[in-house]
Amino acid sequence: MASAALVTAPTFTAAQTASPTGVGVASGPKTAVSIRAADKMFSLGRGKQLQALAQVDIEIEEGEFVAIIGPSGCGKSTVLRLAAGLDEPTNGSVEIFGAEPRQLAKQHRLGVAFQEHALLPWASVRSNIALPYKVAGRKVDDARVDGLIELVGLSGFEKARPKQLSGGMRQRVSIARALVLSPDLLLLDEPFGALDAVTRRRMNAELARIWGEEKITSILVTHDVDEALILADRIIVMTGRPGQVREVKKVDFPRPRDAETTRSPEFHALVDELTSLLDASESAAA
Amino acid sequence: MKPTRRSTKVIYGVVGSALLILGAELIGQFQLAGRAWPPLTDVVAYVSTQAGASLVWRNALVTLSAAAQGFVLGVAVAVIGAALALVVPLLRPGFDRFAAILHAVPTIALAPLLITTVGRADTPMVIAALSVGFVMFVTMTSGFAHTSAAHEDVFTVLGSQRIQRLARLEVPQAIPAFFDGLTLAAPAAVLGATIGEWFGAPMGLGLVLVSAMQNYQMALLWSAALAATIMSLAAYLIFVQLQRVAVRRFA
Repeated sequence: MASAALVTAPTFTAAQTASPTGVGVASGPKTAVSIRAADKMFSLGRGKQLQALAQVDIEIEEGEFVAIIGPSGCGKSTVLRLAAGLDEPTNGSVEIFGAEPRQLAKQHRLGVAFQEHALLPWASVRSNIALPYKVAGRKVDDARVDGLIELVGLSGFEKARPKQLSGGMRQRVSIARALVLSPDLLLLDEPFGALDAVTRRRMNAELARIWGEEKITSILVTHDVDEALILADRIIVMTGRPGQVREVKKVDFPRPRDAETTRSPEFHALVDELTSLLDASESAAA
Repeated sequence: MKPTRRSTKVIYGVVGSALLILGAELIGQFQLAGRAWPPLTDVVAYVSTQAGASLVWRNALVTLSAAAQGFVLGVAVAVIGAALALVVPLLRPGFDRFAAILHAVPTIALAPLLITTVGRADTPMVIAALSVGFVMFVTMTSGFAHTSAAHEDVFTVLGSQRIQRLARLEVPQAIPAFFDGLTLAAPAAVLGATIGEWFGAPMGLGLVLVSAMQNYQMALLWSAALAATIMSLAAYLIFVQLQRVAVRRFA
């Protein structure tokens, strides 16, 4: 995967800088997500407005894992909501596989793991993971559900209900639910935000492993630099209010990125660089 | 503060009930509230007679049947109405206002209308249904409205159709509210049926109350009242147990 990312990288930068309209060029990899000049304003009432995003341009190729990092309240989650079709940009455009974002959801090709796991409290682990099948009106593929339960390490907990699980387990259920229909686009909104550092690290490793098997185009929103570096092919650094793209960093450490990678000086250099970019964004926001 | 222990709670309940019964007995024995308040022992003695027991029992069954039918009808109409108002938001303001107006009209004012339309025999059932319907409609509309934004988002990104969202999110979410409503609706059904029987029903506890009052049969009057109270309390306690199970399962 790392070699593929290396090959495709120059095409991407060229497309981003030189030709903002160059979507779906026959040669080169296909564009999965294309957010162009997106502004997002929220009305606060009494004529006041909050600008969450300003002129955001993001292009993501099929099969790419992109992490978006930035200070709290910089509009990272808003970018994800635009891609999911849960919000619409005030100006600019959002296209997912060349169509409106809502189309992807309607065709049951979208997977989202939310910040709060948002599992159904009355349903078991198994039925929570099978929910997308039922909502799509398809027959539940039991083998696929079982496979995912095993993949996220919850064998033996099939019948447990969310309140009987730990926070990390709930997030894993939520990720399994997002993956069950083999979506074409996976959106992860700080799925491990509420977890402690140790659990979080373990979850990162698991997610990297799961992604290695499924290779779905993914966007991960996080404020954790290490997490982004362990998982992503590319990292987008955003500045604070209004959210703007400040920097795009390519990450080409070989996968799987184990402890050896994370201890390497190159890794630490990138952590430092991204952290200082984040600090700059933070002070700009304040 | 330490949580109250279960045994302490039971003791409070038993002591409270005993004091209430003793108080009612003493007021009756010393005629503190006049002759219309007989001692509780007189009432129990009357119900213990063959004639008294059979009279109260036969009429209680009639009231119970009217209350149960009205309960089922009221719950069904209210739940369907609340679900319709949820799925077709256009209907919501109209339904809300209709329910509020129906509730605001005193039952006494509806009685002549009901007697001419559904007849004396079915009026108790319809009044029970009306009392139940309002309570259930209010609890169900609020129960349906309490889905979290995160759950709504999940169904949106899964590309859910409206009917799926209703069946898999809003209905299960509203089940604790449904049982909350039932605990309020069950006593309301008994009360509604009893009041409905005042307007010339051929049988029932309400009829017994009116006739005992007019004939100054205090023991019979209080026996009927006691029977209605026990029925109403029993219905309440049964639905409270069901509600606990529902909350444990669905919340």
